Amino acid sequence: MKRICTLTATALTASSLAFGGSFQLNLQGIRQTAMGGTGVAWPWDASAVFFNPGGISRLKSLEAYGSINFVTPNVKYVQTPTGGYTASSNTHTTTPFAVYFGGPVKKGSRIGVGIGVYTPFGNKLDWGNSWTGRYVVESISLKSIFIQPTVSYAINDIISVGAGFVYGFGTVDITKAIPIQDAAGNDGQASLSGNANGVGFNLGVQVRATEQLQFGVSYRSKVNMKVNEGDAMFTVAPSVAANFPNTIFSSELPLPEILTVGAGYRVTKDLTLQADIVLAGWKTYDSLSFDFAENKAVQDTHDPRDYKNTVAFRLGGHYQIGQFAVMAGGAYDPTPTRDNLLSPDAVDANRITLSCGATYQPLPRLSIMAALNYTTTPKRTASYDPAGMQGAYQIKSLLPAIGVSYSF
Amino acid sequence: MKKAYILIAAAGMLAAASCKSRIEPETPSAGEADFTTYVAIGNSLTAGFSDGTLYRSGQENSYPNMLAGQFRLVGGGDFRQPLLPGEYGWPSVKRVLGIRTDCTGAAGLTPVFYTGGADTAGSAASIAAGGPYNNVGIPGIRCIDYALTGYGLLNPYAARFFSNPVGQKPLDVALQPAPTFFTMWLGSNDVLGYATAGGEGTNGGVGLNDISPFVAFKVTYDTTVAALAGTGAKGVLVNIPDVTSVPFFTTVPARGLVLTEQAQVDALNAAYGSLGMQFSLGANYFVIEDETIPAGRRQIRAGEYILLTVPQDSLKCAFWGTQVPIPRQYVLTEDEVANVREATAAFNQVIAENAAKYGLGLMDANNYLKTLQSGITWNGVTYTPTFVTGGAFSLDGIHLTPRGYALVANELIRVINQTYKATIPAVDINKYGGIRFP
Repeated sequence: MKRICTLTATALTASSLAFGGSFQLNLQGIRQTAMGGTGVAWPWDASAVFFNPGGISRLKSLEAYGSINFVTPNVKYVQTPTGGYTASSNTHTTTPFAVYFGGPVKKGSRIGVGIGVYTPFGNKLDWGNSWTGRYVVESISLKSIFIQPTVSYAINDIISVGAGFVYGFGTVDITKAIPIQDAAGNDGQASLSGNANGVGFNLGVQVRATEQLQFGVSYRSKVNMKVNEGDAMFTVAPSVAANFPNTIFSSELPLPEILTVGAGYRVTKDLTLQADIVLAGWKTYDSLSFDFAENKAVQDTHDPRDYKNTVAFRLGGHYQIGQFAVMAGGAYDPTPTRDNLLSPDAVDANRITLSCGATYQPLPRLSIMAALNYTTTPKRTASYDPAGMQGAYQIKSLLPAIGVSYSF
Repeated sequence: MKKAYILIAAAGMLAAASCKSRIEPETPSAGEADFTTYVAIGNSLTAGFSDGTLYRSGQENSYPNMLAGQFRLVGGGDFRQPLLPGEYGWPSVKRVLGIRTDCTGAAGLTPVFYTGGADTAGSAASIAAGGPYNNVGIPGIRCIDYALTGYGLLNPYAARFFSNPVGQKPLDVALQPAPTFFTMWLGSNDVLGYATAGGEGTNGGVGLNDISPFVAFKVTYDTTVAALAGTGAKGVLVNIPDVTSVPFFTTVPARGLVLTEQAQVDALNAAYGSLGMQFSLGANYFVIEDETIPAGRRQIRAGEYILLTVPQDSLKCAFWGTQVPIPRQYVLTEDEVANVREATAAFNQVIAENAAKYGLGLMDANNYLKTLQSGITWNGVTYTPTFVTGGAFSLDGIHLTPRGYALVANELIRVINQTYKATIPAVDINKYGGIRFP
């Protein structure tokens, strides 16, 4: 009952080496974050570079803006259908940021310019290396930074337009266990890391219908983030290590096109309300593939994702009290993920967001801003069929953000 | 300014307190069953046999022990197993994966005997005083042995924990703890002994290499289930897998004779052509012994099996499968396969009838193993019946790895939940080990 079997290849099973899921971050402006993410209709400050390039030429002067967010999501997993097992993601804080500079080239000019550096997508989730889903994912970190030079032109007192070019770059780091145990019973390990980049553009139209009523439309194109020479590193038992040579991989992750339509209405001198509808073209994310340069035991992977397009609704208000302003808002973001294709590396569900914030103007030119964003999802029971993994998930996140803005 | 500070401070505090998700699993329920005293009846698969022998961690990773752990969540009590003292394997040494150089000088990864120190002292001593035991799985036991008084004298595994090996039937030992719930996976050895001996025994005999007589099987099985169900205990019966779908039979390919030189092909065709055998470059069917035909030898056919125990060095260097026909005890021929399948089907019919008669659960292990052929994926790991790399079968090609046993435990839990309207959680298969690679 022995012999046979010269091991040739042990396949990396059901590999879902995934980037992330609904990893869109709506944190590009403090005021907008505080107002449920709304902001396409109203150019509040230089963050219009992101929210609506058409609004840049509407600013009173050149402005500088900087903000930072402290994101510490908690994700919990409960095994289903009759769950005895639970796991919580390890806590890590990431800091998406935004820096903008922009406005009319000189006072009263119809032409505006701007530049923005911001983090539109990101994801960090760390389940640890002993949880039940470790062969699907242990940890994933996806970072992206977009640089966007922008021009804007006020056609007349009512309509202004703008356009920006986007260069995106970022990193991806994924670790997962390989179900091959060494003499001590330890799992093998796979680590994929690489740099990604891609290009896109950003368009916006801003309409000042009346002094009280404004409209906005912005379109951000799809950005295909490509990884060309990522490093794939494998650690397995010595007797099979030759089947797992370290190699390079290529992959790509499409960041979806996003169309936002919104309106802002100044109800009184001090109170402004705004609402946005956001269409995200997630359908482009139909699968995630990794192409390894050298295939022995590790075969190229092709994991279905089959995302759906989504429509999100956002609502917010801004109330001015002298040097101060307070803001509040809420949003409903439906998930693009499907119930049978929800991988633990990209946990997502319909998100409900509540937010608030305040600004203070110690000097006429200087604003100090803070926002607080609370996001939760209902308990979602789903499965990731390619890995035979089912469970119930919930996401909670309380996110503080601070920023400053200065007008020249 | 103050306001902003206050806001930031408040935000910081809230974030520190964190918004943790509070979703929790639903409270498991025993449904209509009572798991207070669980007894596991069966053979080596139930005992936790693995890698060709029985050893302590294998017993600890037996599927009954896993089940007992889950039953504790719904009122299950103490679960005693007749644990061996050591990891060496008893009575025979266990197998591990190692590097071995074969007759051609090629080194490869293959199951070898464990060479560590023996820790088997005291294994043969009776531990009956620590009983009664809940896991009464006995390696080697057949269904037809279950009503045999004195069985403890015939089987060293039984002798260890039977309180009265001379006077007890295995059924008496199973009833001793007064089970409120039982699983019974009995009957595999009533066909497996015949199959692993290459089908050289009798179809319908009582020897260890025979297929058990149907009537004896039915009478014993009926009696055993009647006795268990008569106590009011609920339970699940597990039927007999198609033993020819385990790696012990499927690993060495029938068409595994690879000819690379025309001279070999010509020589074989010259020698065997008159017997109707044909050879060509590439993969060919091995030559086997067949005592039922005048020539005494023929080529093996698709649907016939060469056993995992066939000496590989003889295949590679001593012309087995070509000039020397593979001896018949290493081969399961068509007729023998048919005997095994017919007996398995008949026995499984008895098992299904008993499940229906007493309203017990039935785990269709025969069908489950067929599902495994196409792969069962659980939390990122795919299991198949492939030897060593498939993850489910241990190094003897018949018994399971701890993860393989965990698959069985989860399928049993599924059946229990369905039959008794319980909501017992599945075990975390990934908590258990698989085959270890050096």
